[in-house]
Amino acid sequence: MTSPINAPEGATSPDDAITVSADGPPSDAKVSGGNLRRQAIIAAAIFGAVFVVCVLVYLALVVPGQWFPSASIKTWNATNLTLTRGVGHLAGDELVVTSPDPNSITLLSLVTDFRSSDYPGVAWVVKGLAEDADVRLLWTSDVRPDKLNSAAIEVSGGRSLPTVVQRNPAWLGHIKGLALAIHGPLPQPVQIKGVVATPLGAADVLRDRLHEWFAFETWNGTSINTIVGGADHQEVPLPVLLALVVGLSGLAFMALRRWRPGNFAPSTPAFLATLFLVAWLLLDARWGFNLMRQEQATNALFLGKDARAKHLVNDDGPLFAFIEKARAVLPSTPVRIVIVADADYFRGRAAYHLYPNNVYFNPRSNEIPAATLLHAGDWLLVFQRRGIQYDRSQGRLRWDNGQTVNAELKLVEPGGALFLIR
Amino acid sequence: MTTWALGVAVIEVLRGRSTLQQSPVDTAFVIGCGWFVGQFLVTLWMRMLAVASVPFAISTVAVPVAAVAIAGFVAHRLGRRRATRSIANGIKRWISPDHVPARQRMLWFALLGWVALRFVLLLNEVLQRPLYPWDAWTQWSTKARVWYELKTIVPFVTASEWFAAPGGGAYFDAAPHYPATIPLTQVWSALLLGRWDDALINLPWWLTAVAFGVAIYGFLRQQEMEALFALVGAWLVLSLPIFDAHVALAGYADLAMSTYFTLTALAAFRAVRTRSAADALLALLLGCACILIKNPGKVWLLMLLPGVVAAGVPRYGNRFAAGCFAAAAILAFVLTQHGVTVLGYRLKLDYDMPWRALLDAWFAYANWHLLFYGAAAMAVIAWRHLLSRELAPLTITVAAGIAFLIFGFAFTNARVWVEDQSTVNRATLHLAPLIIVWMIMAFRAWSARAESGSADILVPAQRGAS
Repeated sequence: MTSPINAPEGATSPDDAITVSADGPPSDAKVSGGNLRRQAIIAAAIFGAVFVVCVLVYLALVVPGQWFPSASIKTWNATNLTLTRGVGHLAGDELVVTSPDPNSITLLSLVTDFRSSDYPGVAWVVKGLAEDADVRLLWTSDVRPDKLNSAAIEVSGGRSLPTVVQRNPAWLGHIKGLALAIHGPLPQPVQIKGVVATPLGAADVLRDRLHEWFAFETWNGTSINTIVGGADHQEVPLPVLLALVVGLSGLAFMALRRWRPGNFAPSTPAFLATLFLVAWLLLDARWGFNLMRQEQATNALFLGKDARAKHLVNDDGPLFAFIEKARAVLPSTPVRIVIVADADYFRGRAAYHLYPNNVYFNPRSNEIPAATLLHAGDWLLVFQRRGIQYDRSQGRLRWDNGQTVNAELKLVEPGGALFLIR
Repeated sequence: MTTWALGVAVIEVLRGRSTLQQSPVDTAFVIGCGWFVGQFLVTLWMRMLAVASVPFAISTVAVPVAAVAIAGFVAHRLGRRRATRSIANGIKRWISPDHVPARQRMLWFALLGWVALRFVLLLNEVLQRPLYPWDAWTQWSTKARVWYELKTIVPFVTASEWFAAPGGGAYFDAAPHYPATIPLTQVWSALLLGRWDDALINLPWWLTAVAFGVAIYGFLRQQEMEALFALVGAWLVLSLPIFDAHVALAGYADLAMSTYFTLTALAAFRAVRTRSAADALLALLLGCACILIKNPGKVWLLMLLPGVVAAGVPRYGNRFAAGCFAAAAILAFVLTQHGVTVLGYRLKLDYDMPWRALLDAWFAYANWHLLFYGAAAMAVIAWRHLLSRELAPLTITVAAGIAFLIFGFAFTNARVWVEDQSTVNRATLHLAPLIIVWMIMAFRAWSARAESGSADILVPAQRGAS
């Protein structure tokens, strides 16, 4: 092991450049291949030992009950749930709740029967929640069947987080029923996959962390801004753990070197650099593995398709198909087109597909330009925009605030229309 | 590749007139920078064609570029036959394993294979996926698409201007006044393709990453790093997840901003030390590109100024840098008091730093692997060396860059973009490769000191390193 210092150009043998530090006792010694291997083993051993100690300390802090419980995980999927309050439907393996009841309460429940002491953790698998949503876990037990108990459920990244209920004084006896309550309006549909009661043993905790680190993080709208590194919510981010392990390993190495100088010949910089690079490599391997899975997904979607076919299978495929039809109606030379749609995404995408026509779209607001700004000969493309009415008999287009303009309908499709302003 | 050849030819012609000594370790840096110089020159040429009302075409863009590249190589070869041969030899040596010490060869090739695998994955993504990220299709490729179809540059204007001129030829997109360099690179790709394919037009992003890796490797080799450790340095840069995301999901200007700024800094520091006109011209060219890629490029170049002075006048450099920091602090205080808007950022006096979001972005999420842990550790353990003659320019530039980022996050409307994690990493990406280079150089200085008892570790060449 050596630090990243250049080997002398004149070095005659590969080992000429392998040195050990002066701050250790065997300062002038050359490190042989066998010694190098031995030092590598020592470094790996320190790294591994510190890693194991960190994991054990973490488990001691977070495992709420027995480390090796006999109970196994209990899972109830969406079909086991009853939507007591609110409006929703089953879609695949998820229960999709679209709106709460008139009192702004959404309630799902199920009948259970398990010993509370065997299951200190309950995890509702819910996504689509607002970050500030008031979400609660409810339960009844055979100790006081008439009492409805509750505990707050944290929300992160639009998902509900597991709840540790072991220390809740009402988590007693046999749990006879579980429920999920969401107070307040639902800005978007909430998807519920089910609920899991977990013994939260050491293996469960470790499995959860591994799942968080190695959850497939596919490309999404925020990937260009942030790479989370696995699941959206992570109790212990992997970079934090590895940085801690590297730091503590460095301290352990320096302590051991001071204590037994003869056995720890590598220089401190070389040792720290090696640990740092190994930790970086581990993170990079995780990232590379995620990229590999992403490429499989990308190829499944796009491989072997031409540019048009790729657009048709893309997120905005229906919009692209509509724009193709609009292009067939539009003149071959570029014209001015104003685009309106409720969603920013569709306004921008429609504009992009319509260039080199001279398009206008409002990038940040759903506001339609004033009617006075539109001129005869301009075009108006509407895609999934509420509040626009067309009177075919009078040839008039009407939208927000009662604004009207003379227009001719040139194309109409489900969700989209194209008008020529007169 | 034509642009790459053009850039290498231009640098070689410049070098031919300079006193810079030919050296095999320079080859990688020259080849890497060649891509950036060539790409930028092509966009300048396209701007000139547009001004002269000459439509974009293979015959007007690609042919002259290829001709200049060939002429450059021929002229250089005629003028400096031996030098040209040395470049060829440099490439041969560079790609052969002979320059890697035997004990490191296996690791060197393994790491190269690891990087190559990453680039295969990224290339697949670039080739398969149509333009994906938001700003790419609302403000960058919008211009490219129009200019490609119309075969010239037409103006983009604000919404009010667009509505006010119904008969005009002005276009609209989400950022009409953004610079033209990035869209022009896509126009150039489409011209070579002969059609608008919004996956393949992004190939320059992948090539930018490849060339950048080569340039970083070359720079570290110039700094007397062993081949293995130079490759480690390049790998650290190329493996940053947010860097890779900007390659895979091509279409933003941040990758170009980051790479051009880093190479501008490295070329400028080198130019100040070598006092070579060729190096100075290279730095100047790359610096001009920074301004024409993205508006923050102007500020990034300002951040470079104290570091360049520290490199050029080491005796007074640190004091000058301290003065710059003080002046910047006073200026920032005055500007924030008046709530002015600079480059689209509204300055405000009330300090409101979203620390949690910033710490998440830099330390908890996967964006940067262990970069900021390493940088923080290096600032602590190598603090004695950070303002040494060799390290001061880099240290001052990195410090100025981080101060600029923190100031932007704390005192402007960019704070919101930290909280929602939308811009914090993209802004940091501009500085990140330079932080890695600084980290490696600081580590070398520290480890050399720590191991100073080993006489055979410090090589004479390093002590006198340029």
